[in-house]
Amino acid sequence: MIIAERKPMKELLEMVSDVKKLLIVGCRGCVAVCSAGGDKEVSILSAALRLGVKRAGGEIEIHEDTLVRQCDPEYIDPLNDKGAKYDAVLSMACGVGVNFVADRCPDVNVLPALNTTFYGANLSSGEWKEMCAGCGACVLHLTGGLCPVARCAKSLSNGPCGGSQGGRCEINPDVDCIWQQIYDKLSSMNRKEELRQIMPMRDWTTAGHGGPRRRIREDLLP
Amino acid sequence: MSKIKGFCCNYTLSVEVDALKEEGLVPEDLEIERLPCTGRLEVPEILDAFTQGAEAVFVVGCQVDKCHNLSGSYRASKRVKYAKKILEELDMNPDLVEMFFAGRGETEPVVEAARTMASRA
Ligand code: SF4
Ligand code: SF4
Repeated sequence: MIIAERKPMKELLEMVSDVKKLLIVGCRGCVAVCSAGGDKEVSILSAALRLGVKRAGGEIEIHEDTLVRQCDPEYIDPLNDKGAKYDAVLSMACGVGVNFVADRCPDVNVLPALNTTFYGANLSSGEWKEMCAGCGACVLHLTGGLCPVARCAKSLSNGPCGGSQGGRCEINPDVDCIWQQIYDKLSSMNRKEELRQIMPMRDWTTAGHGGPRRRIREDLLP
Repeated sequence: MSKIKGFCCNYTLSVEVDALKEEGLVPEDLEIERLPCTGRLEVPEILDAFTQGAEAVFVVGCQVDKCHNLSGSYRASKRVKYAKKILEELDMNPDLVEMFFAGRGETEPVVEAARTMASRA
């Protein structure tokens, strides 16, 4: 899922410093699952802003709402009329949601409450880890299911760099060298010989280096 | 709003707060809200207490391993922890909110908690 985290309160208070009437809108998709922008986080942020604004000597009227998703038109289109009645709409969705509201709700002054961080998995309650970078040309069948794009600091395609020491990445001893793990995993599967095959140079256009990406499935178009 | 606000579960405080005040055991400006279980308490209620004028807020739940509702007071302690983080982000002293634990029907830890928080406010 998409992982995000709330922006620091100071940044959010600064963002709404001229706002008198605010609508905070959560999303019940990814950000609810990673405890960053669901119903619960909306009410916490609302209370935190009320307290912060009061301490700064200001006044703010805050209303709360949470949508099923902020990345589908049917859920956010009604927000144009509703959100236009507010000085600002503080979206607690990922950046996708904020962008989509900005695109489709021209009368709404939308602001981001979260920093969208990565595509990750939930390791345990309160801990998430990056697993995929959405490169658009997946190679996991060659690497034992472990991603060298997202999980290698240098996104190397053909084995570790010279900084891999004792299974750890040179950027930080707390970070596993994913190429060591790929080697260990393929070895345990008796597939280590496959690593002799050189992966060709990647075409990074699918990874967003060729501009914003779009996917079309003809059979589903209206 | 009283200056010191406490949230207690049904199973901790067994005496009326007014009686404690009459005996001079707790500060006059103490207000206690009883909850069926402190696990019911959410972060916004803690923050709203400050917005409404409380200078310090505390929560008293069952001992973690003896919670009537198994994990209620543990959950409450996590919410207090997050409320502390938000206070810090708002340049407030995180010690102005605290979690305390008490045995079933024990009044003394609640009195102690109220006094501790009054000294921090
Ligand atoms: S708006 Fe973002 S967080 Fe919400 S469901 Fe869509 S992708 Fe997930
Ligand atoms: S190779 Fe690309 S698509 Fe596959 S997991 Fe890694 S980043 Fe994601």
